[in-house]
Amino acid sequence: MTGTPDYKGQFTELMQAYASPIRRLCAAYAESAADREDLCQDIFLAVWRALPAFRGEASVRTWLYRIAHNVALTWRARHRRRQSRESPLREETEAGAEMDLRRVALKRAIAAMSPGDRTLTLLWLEGLSAAEIEEVTGVKSATVAVRLSRIRKHLQPVEVTT
Amino acid sequence: MSDDAATLSAVWMSGPPVDKERVRSAIDTVLEKDRAARDRERRIRVASLLALTCLLPLMLWAAAHGVTPLVRGAYALMAAGCAVVVFAEWMYLDWSRQALPGPADARSQLQRTAFMLARQVRLMKTAPIWSSPIFVGIAMIGLWLYRDRTHFEAFVLWAITAASWLAPWLGTMSARSRLNERRVQVERLLGELQ
Repeated sequence: MTGTPDYKGQFTELMQAYASPIRRLCAAYAESAADREDLCQDIFLAVWRALPAFRGEASVRTWLYRIAHNVALTWRARHRRRQSRESPLREETEAGAEMDLRRVALKRAIAAMSPGDRTLTLLWLEGLSAAEIEEVTGVKSATVAVRLSRIRKHLQPVEVTT
Repeated sequence: MSDDAATLSAVWMSGPPVDKERVRSAIDTVLEKDRAARDRERRIRVASLLALTCLLPLMLWAAAHGVTPLVRGAYALMAAGCAVVVFAEWMYLDWSRQALPGPADARSQLQRTAFMLARQVRLMKTAPIWSSPIFVGIAMIGLWLYRDRTHFEAFVLWAITAASWLAPWLGTMSARSRLNERRVQVERLLGELQ
């Protein structure tokens, strides 16, 4: 399948369309710019490798989010030790220059979450319904709803500042 | 989504737009990376296949026409050992590919990754056992040297055999612990997700 023009065109189109959500996901999982780039490339690579098997049974969006979150979670498992050595302040100072305060506050709140809650929150913030989140994570939609309401309470201070 | 949630979502999505040129260059890098990875895997498979097709007939011939039953048995063991090693290497590559994140839901993906990592760790841990026919075969040749030639030659061969039997096992110790640590992290993530 490597390099078949059809796949390449499809892949480019897909990546152009979903570059922003992927970037946001990477920003939530990786602290340094180099790590974010690394994670983004891993996600792109996984999408490229999975593309020939895509039959259109799921929507492109949930299919892509599945891959992206799976890569991000396993990437985190692989880089956990290194991440714990890095100073979280570095990202905050980088972010302060380019993002508004609400985004920084939201990002900090998300960064403090457990990986499970973070995954659900990110999908919810991207506008996925509980049923779609179930499709992506495998967590029952009823459980997703309960956990999201708890997460919403946790995010209330950020909501208030908006 | 409620109004507040929609606002929160809008805040989250309010970042600067992604530069299309950067995306295109990332795509090119990824395609290049993929090509390189596939080439590397193909090279490994071809090299092991070549080793198998060159070594196996030679060893089987020696197993059939060796000077003594001891030598014939040694070569037969070595032939079996070579086949097992190549098979193990192919299995390892296959499991590595299966452990890669794909389009399954996150829970199933994490379960599969943890399972594959556990298999890989077990395979690496047991390497001295499944590769033993090769080394036992060489040690038997050493025994033949000890009996029919010089003791010195036999001792040298036994020393080399022991070193090459243990060296890969010791050398992969850190890789094994890295894989195991990853498996533990993946299982922890799975627990946190549920």
